[in-house]
Amino acid sequence: MLTVGKTIVAIGTLLAGAALAFNQAHAQDIPGVAKDEIRIGSFGSLTGPTYLYGKLTMNGVEAVFAKVNEQGGVNGRKLVLVREDDRCDPATAIAAVKKLVFEEKVFAIIGGGCSNATLGARPEIIKDQIPFVVFASVADGITEPVAKEIYSTMTTSSIESRSQVQYAVDKGAKKIAVVSQHDAWGQSRYEPLMAELKKRNITPVVDLEMTVDDNDATVQALKIASSGADAIIMVLYAKPGAVLIRALNKLGQNPVLIAQTAIADPVAFTKEVAIPDATDKFVTPSAVRYTPTDPEVKEWVERVKKMFPNDELSIFNLMGIGSAQVLVAALKAAGPDLTRDKLLAALAHIKVDTDTYAGTIVCNDPVSHQCNQTPAWIKAAGDKAEVVGVTKLN
Amino acid sequence: MMMFAYLLASGITTGALYALVALGITVVYKATKSVNFAHGDLFMIGGFIAYTFHVMWGLPYVVSLLLAVGAGFAIGAAAERIAFRRLREQGLVSILLATIGLSFILKGTARAVWGGKGDFIPFPPLANPRPISFGGILLVPQQLIVLAGALAVMAIFAAFFKFTKLGRMMQATADNAKAAKLVGIPVNRVYVYTFAIGTAIACSAAVLMAPITLLYPDIGFVLFIKSFAGAVLGGLTSIPGAVVGGLLIGLIEAMSGGYISTNVQDVSSYIVIMFVLVFMPQGLFGGAVLRRV
Repeated sequence: MLTVGKTIVAIGTLLAGAALAFNQAHAQDIPGVAKDEIRIGSFGSLTGPTYLYGKLTMNGVEAVFAKVNEQGGVNGRKLVLVREDDRCDPATAIAAVKKLVFEEKVFAIIGGGCSNATLGARPEIIKDQIPFVVFASVADGITEPVAKEIYSTMTTSSIESRSQVQYAVDKGAKKIAVVSQHDAWGQSRYEPLMAELKKRNITPVVDLEMTVDDNDATVQALKIASSGADAIIMVLYAKPGAVLIRALNKLGQNPVLIAQTAIADPVAFTKEVAIPDATDKFVTPSAVRYTPTDPEVKEWVERVKKMFPNDELSIFNLMGIGSAQVLVAALKAAGPDLTRDKLLAALAHIKVDTDTYAGTIVCNDPVSHQCNQTPAWIKAAGDKAEVVGVTKLN
Repeated sequence: MMMFAYLLASGITTGALYALVALGITVVYKATKSVNFAHGDLFMIGGFIAYTFHVMWGLPYVVSLLLAVGAGFAIGAAAERIAFRRLREQGLVSILLATIGLSFILKGTARAVWGGKGDFIPFPPLANPRPISFGGILLVPQQLIVLAGALAVMAIFAAFFKFTKLGRMMQATADNAKAAKLVGIPVNRVYVYTFAIGTAIACSAAVLMAPITLLYPDIGFVLFIKSFAGAVLGGLTSIPGAVVGGLLIGLIEAMSGGYISTNVQDVSSYIVIMFVLVFMPQGLFGGAVLRRV
């Protein structure tokens, strides 16, 4: 015959066992969530010339996951990153998302390197209803119109364009010139740029075009010189950008040069221009506040270096770190009883400061899922890049 | 007036490079009656080879130029021997497709060998990049080096064509391959030299151009199209025509950008191709179009 005490212990044990069994069954119901791990997928370029947008950013994500796991994981679950190569190609990106969702059965995705590939994958992500945090792609079309599954921690192209105008105004520019590529990449930035200028009643003194294959920009430099522009907003890749600056230098022009993240590394760009002092007034936006040489991110940089000794260190590592910290914060906020809806609810109004982003990441569902509205401005200072300011958009 | 002078200088410098590439296209076309669509990519490979010698191995620029030209000569000869000779009997379409295939192979090779160093690779300038004044016009010494180099290569090539036995054999073969064979000219060997020399010229253009631009695996195609426009404008079969056509394309680009709009600068060469093909298919220096009856 059982005593009262033994009865209580038996009932308690039964209840605990039932709760554990329920929890396990629940975890098994949610794709990518097990008792002791959460599988997170990532897609982006792992190979080819655009590997830095994908592979290096993922390295940053993995560094955060490793640190979180060392500290016990998220609500007791270790984070596992599953990588897929989209080769910067939309069709491959769609296949990568399908593989992550249906074969790898990941819980959520953090990724997106090349914008065109991520744009291609957007319908599949929405169809599969999988939470997705964008870490590097900048095209506005990825997050607009707002989709409940997709949030971006990267400064998007329209944010960059608006920031370029703000930077020029902040620097006291009176005559602003625009030099842009009119391909698909350039047009997605040119249009919001011109809209922002119009909104502020600013008419560019010259509005010029270059192509990525131009080897001489004497024409553009002559027109800029005769316009008396004191700031140039560049919507250009590094190659035409370097060609333009060489031509400006030839004509003795030295305006403020405001680029976009297509020229992400001002130190490398200065070497490409290869003319001393020609890039003294050159700045480019960055989603992150630091560069890998800054002491503030030393711990992270050493961790990445240790984990991926064969990969170069890059600003993209820092972007991955910031983005992963946002995801981890949302996963923690979603609680131990994790579901995709809870993660999305946590992302919807998240407000988090990271170790690398220039400003607070604030998602404002359903108005905007472009959560990083604060680009930093960086320029070359010898062999280092330094942050020269931060633009906070309203 | 000052603007015109700048545009003239810019157009001539760019045009000289188009002329060099157009020269290679024309040489091969004259001999094979086929357009070598890999010519721009052979140019690109020449630039990367020079980069390897000059930047990675630290050899002097002139030595790198000569080695790149030599390598281009060997690549052109190998391409003819391996890919094109077997296809010559199968018609022009086969050769055309082979040149497109070679173009992709060269791009892939460049990505595999020189990729991963950044999107665009800088080639150090040969002279002080500070501009110098010529009668009030500011020019960078690099521009003058490019122009002088291009003119020198053209002069060497013209002399080779006119004064050497091989040059004359190439001309004879280009004019009438069957007749050349009948009089004992080793036509197969002449074809090898034709591709080799065409590629060597492309490589010399690449080494001259590299310091004023940045290298990347896709640099060849657009340059090829613009130079092809120059070759078509010159008549496609005329060596002087290729030079004049290339220079004109450079000038048209500069002047249209300067006096019309930068929006039309890039497309002006395509407009020229269309115009010439429709209204003047024999080009400026090409012979009358003959029809076999």
